[in-house]
Amino acid sequence: MAASAAVRTSMGLTFRLSRVLHVCGSCPFYTLNKCSDRAPHLERIRSLDNCGTINRHVRTSIGLHGSEEGSSNAEDPHDVVNVLYIDRSGRRIPVKAKVGDNVLYLAHKNGIDLEGACEASLACSTCHVYVSADHFDKLPEPEETEDDMLDMAPMLQENSRLGCQILITPELDGIELTLPKVTRNFYVDGHVPKPH
Amino acid sequence: FYDVLCDVGVCVSSPEQIQKQELGKDELRPLYLDFQATTPMDPRVLDAMLPYQVNFYGNPHSRTHAYGWESESAMERARKQVADLIGADPREIIFTSGATESNNMAVKGVARFYGLKKRHVITTQTEHKCVLDSCRVLESEGFSVTYLPVQTNGLVDMELLEKSIRPDTSLVSIMTINNEIGVKQPIGDIGRLCRSRGVFFHTDAAQAVGKIPLSVTELNIDLMSVSGHKIYGPKGVGALFVRRRPRVRLEPLQSGGGQERGLRSGTVPTPLAVGLGAACAVAQTEMEYDHRKISALAQRLIQKITSEIPDVILNGDAEKRYPGTNTTTTTTTTTTMRSRANTFFSLMVNDVVNACTSASLEPSYVLRAIGADEDLAHSSIRFGIGRFTTEEEVDYTAQKCIHHVHRLREMSPLWEMVQEGIDIKSIKWTQH
Repeated sequence: MAASAAVRTSMGLTFRLSRVLHVCGSCPFYTLNKCSDRAPHLERIRSLDNCGTINRHVRTSIGLHGSEEGSSNAEDPHDVVNVLYIDRSGRRIPVKAKVGDNVLYLAHKNGIDLEGACEASLACSTCHVYVSADHFDKLPEPEETEDDMLDMAPMLQENSRLGCQILITPELDGIELTLPKVTRNFYVDGHVPKPH
Repeated sequence: FYDVLCDVGVCVSSPEQIQKQELGKDELRPLYLDFQATTPMDPRVLDAMLPYQVNFYGNPHSRTHAYGWESESAMERARKQVADLIGADPREIIFTSGATESNNMAVKGVARFYGLKKRHVITTQTEHKCVLDSCRVLESEGFSVTYLPVQTNGLVDMELLEKSIRPDTSLVSIMTINNEIGVKQPIGDIGRLCRSRGVFFHTDAAQAVGKIPLSVTELNIDLMSVSGHKIYGPKGVGALFVRRRPRVRLEPLQSGGGQERGLRSGTVPTPLAVGLGAACAVAQTEMEYDHRKISALAQRLIQKITSEIPDVILNGDAEKRYPGTNTTTTTTTTTTMRSRANTFFSLMVNDVVNACTSASLEPSYVLRAIGADEDLAHSSIRFGIGRFTTEEEVDYTAQKCIHHVHRLREMSPLWEMVQEGIDIKSIKWTQH
């Protein structure tokens, strides 16, 4: 009893902290075969609020409070900014962002595998993205530390920026962010580290 | 008359070759006046390097043990020494394998990084071969390169440079001091011009670092190449200064583990880096004294030669030069005859200049760029004076040079004709 309660609490805590869309494969309930939702789905993306185990529904507070960085279900049309991610395989993923969203966490929330090894603390170059030419100049100048970290990123281009330092503003509507083929975490077998 | 490049000891490719003879063990060694090709290591530099060869031999990129840490701190100390000499921040110095690699990185790297929108590069006709060859490679990749001509005094024309800069120019590369004729380009003016037009300015300062005061901030330099073995440091190491503010980006030539800011991967050779740092530190203290001494010796040499021999041309501007490099042309002594003369000298003067072009069959392109005729280019000698040259060496050189030039001219029928006033160029030579 206490153990499962502890698991539930820690899971809720984990979900709140990571703000990651819940993927069944990484959920302990699923791996222990205790998930109440038994339909066959290996990597089904589901809403955070609905996972559960036998006789219990685990609710997290994500849906309840919304997140400080803006949730994807923003209803206010003035705040919605269209962002297009182009991932490593070339797939185009349109995303609706709210003003003030951080590009790195926005990607994580939408299941795009933009690596963020240092979790936006300006200590790595894994969230390196290419910004579309029309919007590149609208971004503020990078700080020196960002430039230093960017120097270490492979396949640098003139329109390179660190994703964790880009905050969405209304004038960035229609921005296209392309993920480079490799990051400093250089796995030739195609492995991409999961977000923390 | 043959085109013969004769540096005693360097193999030449022509019918009349100098016999390559290595010096015997007990033989008296010739004097060395070829300081532009390379320099002996200063003993203070050797002292600094030795512990890192056999004692503190760790890899500076080993993050997890004391061998690595001490190696890394030695490398960073050396980086600071190099940076202090040129007025840069230590984080802006990248260690490379020499000025050739630095030049390659600068020219190709900058051009390729900004190559989507900027397709034009500017350089001069008197640059070092590695810069010119890098530009040729860029041309084959579709870039357009402007090779600026120089005036007869060897200096670049500022107005011509200004007119050549286009909106799609990414880089201007002009060397600080020419290795063949010793002229000092107006780097401050060029830097200011490039900064005002938003173009990156690279200078190959291999012959200038440690010999004249340089400050990358004052001179508005964005990239600068440094060579170890030109400043009494070890061979096989050099550095590239890459400005951080405003940031200059390069496409790296050498890929790997991301060392040296990702621009030049590969283990930094700690002993060599320490040697380069020590050479820079020594150069900083000795710069003023060396400059005074070398200027005096150069004056002495030129004055002695020109006073005894008529018709000697000092190539390049007389004022705006570095005194240690003097290329003089003695008219009407062809190099064939000179090559034999050289073996009688105990001199190691570099005839018709330049270790790198001595492999090519043509005479020096630098001399041709300043307007010297081909036959004059063949009769040129570069005298290099350095930190360890003594007055006796200079006197002996001058004396031998005068002696042999007189001898050659006496043998030469052309000289007689010139004395009589015949214009040699108007003669039609026939085969027989």
